[in-house]
Amino acid sequence: MTLDYLMTLSIFAGINIMLALSLNILIGFAGQVSLGHAAFFGIGAYTSAVLTVNLGLNYWFALPLSVLISGFIGFLLGLPSLRVKHDFLVLATIGINFVVVSIFNYVQFFGGPYGIVGIPRPSLFGKTFDTFGYFIYTMVWLILSVVFVIYLSKVYLRYGFEAVKEDEEAAESIGVSVPRYKMYAFTISGAMAGLAGNLWAHYMGVIFPENFAFPVSITILTMVVLGGVGTITGPIIGAVIITLLPEILRFVQNYRMLIYGTIIVLVMLFMPEGLMGYIRKVIKR
Amino acid sequence: MILNSMVLGSVYVLMAVGLTLIYGVLKILHIAHAGVYTLGALIALWIFEKTGNITIAFILSLILSGMVGVLMYSGIYKKVLKKSRIVPLVISIGMFVALQDLFRLIWGPYKKSFQVDLGIPEIITEDMVVTQSQILILIVTAISLLVMYFLMVKTKWGKALRACSDDLDMTASLGVNIERTISFGFFFGSVLAALAGILVGIYDNSVYPTMGEVPSYKAFIVIVLGGFGSLRGAVLAGFILAFAENFLVAWKGFLLPRDAIAFLIMIAILMFKPEGLFGGISR
Amino acid sequence: MNDPILVIDDVSKRFGGLQALRNVSFDVKQGEIHALIGPNGAGKTTLFNIINGFLKPTEGHVYFRGKRIDGMRPSAVASMGIGRTFQIVKVFPEMTVLENVLSGLGMDVYDGFRTFVEKPFSKERMNRAMEILESCGLSDFLDKLASNLPLGLQRKLEIARALATSPQLLLLDEPASGLNDLETNELRELIFKLNEKGITILFIEHDMKFTMNTAEMVTVLDYGEKIAEGKPEEVSKDPKVLEAYLGSGEVAESR
Repeated sequence: MTLDYLMTLSIFAGINIMLALSLNILIGFAGQVSLGHAAFFGIGAYTSAVLTVNLGLNYWFALPLSVLISGFIGFLLGLPSLRVKHDFLVLATIGINFVVVSIFNYVQFFGGPYGIVGIPRPSLFGKTFDTFGYFIYTMVWLILSVVFVIYLSKVYLRYGFEAVKEDEEAAESIGVSVPRYKMYAFTISGAMAGLAGNLWAHYMGVIFPENFAFPVSITILTMVVLGGVGTITGPIIGAVIITLLPEILRFVQNYRMLIYGTIIVLVMLFMPEGLMGYIRKVIKR
Repeated sequence: MILNSMVLGSVYVLMAVGLTLIYGVLKILHIAHAGVYTLGALIALWIFEKTGNITIAFILSLILSGMVGVLMYSGIYKKVLKKSRIVPLVISIGMFVALQDLFRLIWGPYKKSFQVDLGIPEIITEDMVVTQSQILILIVTAISLLVMYFLMVKTKWGKALRACSDDLDMTASLGVNIERTISFGFFFGSVLAALAGILVGIYDNSVYPTMGEVPSYKAFIVIVLGGFGSLRGAVLAGFILAFAENFLVAWKGFLLPRDAIAFLIMIAILMFKPEGLFGGISR
Repeated sequence: MNDPILVIDDVSKRFGGLQALRNVSFDVKQGEIHALIGPNGAGKTTLFNIINGFLKPTEGHVYFRGKRIDGMRPSAVASMGIGRTFQIVKVFPEMTVLENVLSGLGMDVYDGFRTFVEKPFSKERMNRAMEILESCGLSDFLDKLASNLPLGLQRKLEIARALATSPQLLLLDEPASGLNDLETNELRELIFKLNEKGITILFIEHDMKFTMNTAEMVTVLDYGEKIAEGKPEEVSKDPKVLEAYLGSGEVAESR
């Protein structure tokens, strides 16, 4: 139980929280059930990796670029949501996840199945971030992200999202352009997940296509569902639990997908509003 | 290659038709359907290994798988149908993921061999060889489709299912036992999925826990292509998809894995012709 | 002054083989309370959907305050000043009554970057929301979840939300459907009150009694065509209208 270990764990938790929050913007705020979220995570990671490793760009340039590109691809990948019914959007997003990972796997430029190695740590004022430095760095982004999401939930954008989520026709009738808001959701969500990807890539130093495949999307979904779709604290708590679970219960490692799947089923059956939603309900009584 | 496409198409069709029976009525994406596919193959292999008798293996596996399907409905789906659109969707995914991992834990992650001598003579012509398993697949599919046709058109249950698929409330108010009808739908749908799984297991000579992953979405792609809820569409689309995949791969040496083709087709259809080939809004 | 605020100009709508609307033309004058009636399947909701922008006419045009609006996005049409309620009530179920109205108040904000900056819970908007809720008789239910309200109140909430968008024309699709006598009267009162404030009202209804007692002008559709138009008393005696209703097996009941 060294300090190093704790800090690494916290870094992972931070990244997971950002992923969960970003998926929540899509599913919880705007009601777009997206099951390929790991794709955005991967795009952020790969873009930054390519920019720094293959193109030799400085990290601090690669950072905003990779976030922007993730957001842009989020925008593109959100286009199907304009035409596609609820259920089939899920399939489309799974498909997108699959296609994106295939591209990472088969296109030589991205290193193929051997991934990309030698991704540099960022450095500030001449000092490269060590574990502690990276920990602080991640926490900064984490706090900014949480503040950002809280801010989003307090402006009219939130109502626009909620309207789209609850009744698209009614939303249109009060002036909410449904396509526009769906695109907002996908873009913001994609950018945020891309940021998480950037943080992951530069901490791990190596990335492989399978880091961003369907099981990862499921993991992120589990975090959001467990914590409570639509709330802000929900995904945070869900992410922390899911990050800690394999650490606290060592044996869980082997049964991960089984446990996540079961969690999803049980939560949906008995507590569909998630932990936070449930707690809130109990308090209201 | 045409033969291959026919064979591949048959498998797709079995999966898709089974899924249509379920989706057509409940309108939920039963992603766990692919779990039944895998289960069918695993159970059949296990029974075959224990008894040496392939027919028993087939029959038992199909029955058990059918029952599992019904269990999925009565134990899980039924409870969440009333809730928002998101819940049944997510539950289905959770079930599928959990099931696959469960299979891995029970049966091990490795590919197992499924060697069976079916006692069917191979057909050897000048140009090609039609293997045992290929003949089996084609025949079984043909028979299944005939049986399905008979069930859907001639039996009371089949008509009830089609009515439910058109208008659930109306059918209920006419006194039809919805529960029973849906359960039958799940049963036969799951039987078809398991059948597909067994056939593929024999054909590929490999059975493994994640074999359902690709069929899980391919089946839906077929449904999208054929028009959701349309049985005819599912049959036609299954073959079309198989042919498309094989031709594209042979022609250009496609850049991405062949499965990506299916996805791209689906995304394209969903965006440009969401009703598919035969779909209307209701059918 | 009494110019038409809405002009339906020779609108036809075909769905594949089905002709839902055929050469329908009529005006709604500013400040009018206008009813659109006709037996089931006559195409009334289809016409509403065309006005709103959910559908495009196969032929013909729709003009609002002189501007052509057919083909515009529904949200754009809403911004021009047309509010809408729906046949099956479409309040936002998971939002409270107050939130439903606040969401409507955001209409001028949603398009554009103000949506990233403006807060719904400002003093101004809260006051305006309270005003609207009071005028609709909903101020006691501020915090209630919309899905928990009885149907009559939900319909009022839908109207309140539409009001929040400051419409000049309000389209009400079967607002009295499913309401009891008391609620129907309250609805009529509300419609008159809104009309006094200058809002033009166009509503679809089945309930003949309600229509006759509320509307100033009536347009009648049958099988997608306009078959009659005029003041309520005239229309209710028109033989073509009676035949349309009786002929389709539907008796013009008073409830």
